[in-house]
Amino acid sequence: MDLSAYFHLIGFNGGWGLQLVRAGLMTLAVSIAAFGFGLVCGTFGAWAKLSGGRAVRGAADFYTTVIRGIPDLLVIYLFYFGGSQVLTSLGHAFGAEGFFGLNGFMVGMLAVGIVSGAYQTEVLRAGYLAVPKGEIEAARAVGMGRMLMLRRIIVPRVLRFALPGMGNVWQQVLKESTLISVTGLVEIMRQIHIGAGSTRRPFEFYITGLLLYLLLTTVSGALFRLTETWSLRGERRGAG
Amino acid sequence: MTPTIALSGIHKRFGANEVLKGVSLEAREGEVISIIGASGSGKSTLLRCIPLLETPEAGSIAIGGETVRMRSKGGRAAPADAHQVNRLRASLGFVFQNFNLWAHMTVLQNVIEAPVHVQKRPRAEAIAEAEALLEKVGLAEKRDAYPAQLSGGQQQRTAIARALAMRPRALLFDEPTSALDPELVGEVLRVIRDLAAEGRTMLIVTHEMAFAADVSTRAIFLHDGQIEEQGPPARIFNAPTSDRTRAFIARHLNR
Amino acid sequence: MDFDFLSDTMGKLLAGVPMTLELALISTTAGAVLAVLLAVARAAFVPAAWFVRGYVYVLRGTPLLLQIFLIYYGLGQFAWVRDTILWPFLRQPYWCAILALTINTAAYGAEIIRGGLQSVPAGAVEAGRAAGMPRLLLYRRIILPIAIRQALPAYGNEIITMVKATSLASIVTLMELSGIAYSIISETYRALEVFLCAGTIYLVITFVLTRAVAGVETWLNPHLRASRT
Ligand SMILES: Nc1ncnc2c1ncn2[C@@H]1O[C@H](COP(=O)(O)OP(=O)(O)OP(=O)(O)O)[C@@H](O)[C@H]1O
Ligand SMILES: [Mg+2]
Repeated sequence: MDLSAYFHLIGFNGGWGLQLVRAGLMTLAVSIAAFGFGLVCGTFGAWAKLSGGRAVRGAADFYTTVIRGIPDLLVIYLFYFGGSQVLTSLGHAFGAEGFFGLNGFMVGMLAVGIVSGAYQTEVLRAGYLAVPKGEIEAARAVGMGRMLMLRRIIVPRVLRFALPGMGNVWQQVLKESTLISVTGLVEIMRQIHIGAGSTRRPFEFYITGLLLYLLLTTVSGALFRLTETWSLRGERRGAG
Repeated sequence: MTPTIALSGIHKRFGANEVLKGVSLEAREGEVISIIGASGSGKSTLLRCIPLLETPEAGSIAIGGETVRMRSKGGRAAPADAHQVNRLRASLGFVFQNFNLWAHMTVLQNVIEAPVHVQKRPRAEAIAEAEALLEKVGLAEKRDAYPAQLSGGQQQRTAIARALAMRPRALLFDEPTSALDPELVGEVLRVIRDLAAEGRTMLIVTHEMAFAADVSTRAIFLHDGQIEEQGPPARIFNAPTSDRTRAFIARHLNR
Repeated sequence: MDFDFLSDTMGKLLAGVPMTLELALISTTAGAVLAVLLAVARAAFVPAAWFVRGYVYVLRGTPLLLQIFLIYYGLGQFAWVRDTILWPFLRQPYWCAILALTINTAAYGAEIIRGGLQSVPAGAVEAGRAAGMPRLLLYRRIILPIAIRQALPAYGNEIITMVKATSLASIVTLMELSGIAYSIISETYRALEVFLCAGTIYLVITFVLTRAVAGVETWLNPHLRASRT
C-alpha cells in the first residue's frame, strides 16, 4: 500500500479528512447522548431493583433480562421502524397526512441508550451494594435527610464504585454506535462505508475506521482510568 | 431537671427474636453511663434505639425533654416526623464500633460535613471548630488525610471528633474500641476519659470492664433484653446483688 | 392483535434459527480454540505475548461490524487475495461473518481465560509440583480444571454475546433470524409485531443457553453444590 496516496485519500487536501472528522464528532455526540440517556434508565433501573416494591422490581428485572437477551440491532430496528409506525398512526389519528419517523440520531440515542441502560442498571446496583452500610448509617446518625444523604454520601460513593463498570459500558456504547449507521446517520461507520463505495478503495477506508475507533476507545479509556485514579485518591494506603 | 435522654418501656424485636423487653433508662446531664452485658443481650440495639437507628415497637424516647412522636405504619411503629428525628439525631453524637467514616472525604471534611450541611452552620466557623476538635483528639496534622490512610485508632478518634462537632447534648459510644488492635485501644480510651472529665453526658457500651468501672458514674448490666441491675460502678463491679451480674463480672475481670 | 400475522411471521423467522445457531456454534467453537491458544501463548512465550496483547487490544477496541466489513468488503480489493485458494470462501458473506465473529470472540475469550489462569492459586500448583506432577499433567489435572471453572461464568456471557452478535451477519446480507426480521419489516412496516416475535425467539435461545451454562457450572462444581443446603 502506497502511504502517500493513502494520506492523500484520507487527508484534508482534497481527501476525506473533513468528512471523517465530522463523522467522528457525530459518533461521539450520539454515543454521549446514548450513554447519558442510558444513565437515566440505569438510575431508574437500579433504584427500582434496590428499593422498589415487588411489581417495580419485577419490571426492572424484565427490562434487564429482555435487553440482555436480544440483539441490539433488533432494538434499533424497533425504534427506527416501530417509531415511524407509531408516530405515523398517531399522526393520522390527529388528522395529519403522510409519514412520520424518528431521525437517526434520536433512534440511536434511544435504542443504544436503552440497551446501555440495562447494563448501567447492574453496574449502579452493584455500586450501591458495595457502599459500606456503616457509612450510610453514620449519615443517618448525624441527622441527614434522604436528599442530603443521597447528594453528599450515596452518589459520590456509588460513582466511585461504579466507575470501572461505567467505563466498560461506555466502550460498549462507542462500539455499538456503529449499528446506528443502518438508519443512515452519517457517523464514522456510515462515512467509511460511503467513502469505501465511492472510491473503490474499501480496504484503506475500513482500516481508517479501525484506527479511528481505536483512537476513540483508547483515549476515552485513558480518561476513565484517570478519573478512576482521581476518585481513588483517598484510598491509597500509606501516604498522608 | 429534665433528663438529657429518657427511655421508657422500650420493646424491640427482630422477627421472632425479642431483643429488648421493656427497658427504661434516664441519663441526666453530666452522667457517664456504661452499659455492660453478655454478647447478644441487646446493648447495641438499646443504644441504637436512642437516635432511632432502630425503631422500637413500643415505649417512648425523649431527648432533652422532647418526646419522639411515633405512629403506626402498616401495623409497625415508625417515627411520625422525619424532620423531628433528623433534628434530634443531630443533637446526639454516635460513635460506631467500626468508625464508619465517609471514605471519600478527608478527616476535616468528615468532621465539618454535618455541622455545615445538616446544622447549616457557617463553613468557616465549622472549620475553626473542627480544627480545635482535631487538636483535642490529637489529629491536627491529619486533617487532610483520607480515612484509608489512618490507623484504626486514628479513625476512631476522627469519628469522635465528628460526633463532637455536632455540639451534641450527649455522646453515645457502641463498643468504640472493639475493632481496634490492642495497642491502639489506649489512645481512644484516653480521649473518652478526657471527655468524661469535662462533664459530658455519655452512654458507653463496652467490654472494657476496668475502663467502665473507672470512668462511669453509673453502670447498667443488661441481661436478655432487660436491665438486670444498675448502680454506682463501685457497687456493680465489686458487690453486685444479682448472681448473674456477679458471674458476668467475674468472667470478664479474670480475662 | 393480528394473530395470523404473528404466527405467519413466527414461521418465517423460525426458518432463520438454524443459520443463527450455526453461525454462533461454529464461531464460538473455533473462537474458543483460538482463545486457548492465544492465552497459553501469552502466558508461555514472551514474543508471542506482545502479539497477543496487540491482537486483543485491536479486536476489543474496535467494533465488530467494522471488522466484518473489513473482511467482507476490504480484503477483496487486493488481486493477490483474490488469487489465493481462500478466495472462494472469502467472497462469501457466510464465511466472512464466521471469520470475523471467530477472531472477535477469540480476543474476548483469551482475556477471560487469562483471568482464569491467573486465578489459579499458586499453592495448588505448588502442591501438584510437590507431588511430582510433570508440567503437562499439572496443566491437565490441576491448572486447567481450576481455570476453566473460574472462567466459565464469564465465558457463558461471551457465548450469549456471540449469539446476539450473529445478528450483524444480516448486514452483509445473510438471512439469519435478524435478516429475515428486517426483510419482513421492510415489506410490511409492522416493526412492533416482528420485534415481538424475533425478540421472543432470541430470548428463548439465550435463556436455554444461560441455563445450560449454569448446569455445566453446577456439574463441574460438586463441592459447591454439596454446601448449598
Ligand atoms: N438488624 C438485626 N436483624 C436481626 N437481628 C438482629 C439485628 N441486630 C441485632 N439482632 C439480634 O439482636 C440480638 C441483640 O443484638 P445486639 O447487637 O443488641 O447485642 P449486643 O448486646 O450489642 O451484643 P455484642 O456484645 O455482641 O455486640 C442478637 O441476638 C442479634 O442477633
Ligand atoms: Mg453490640
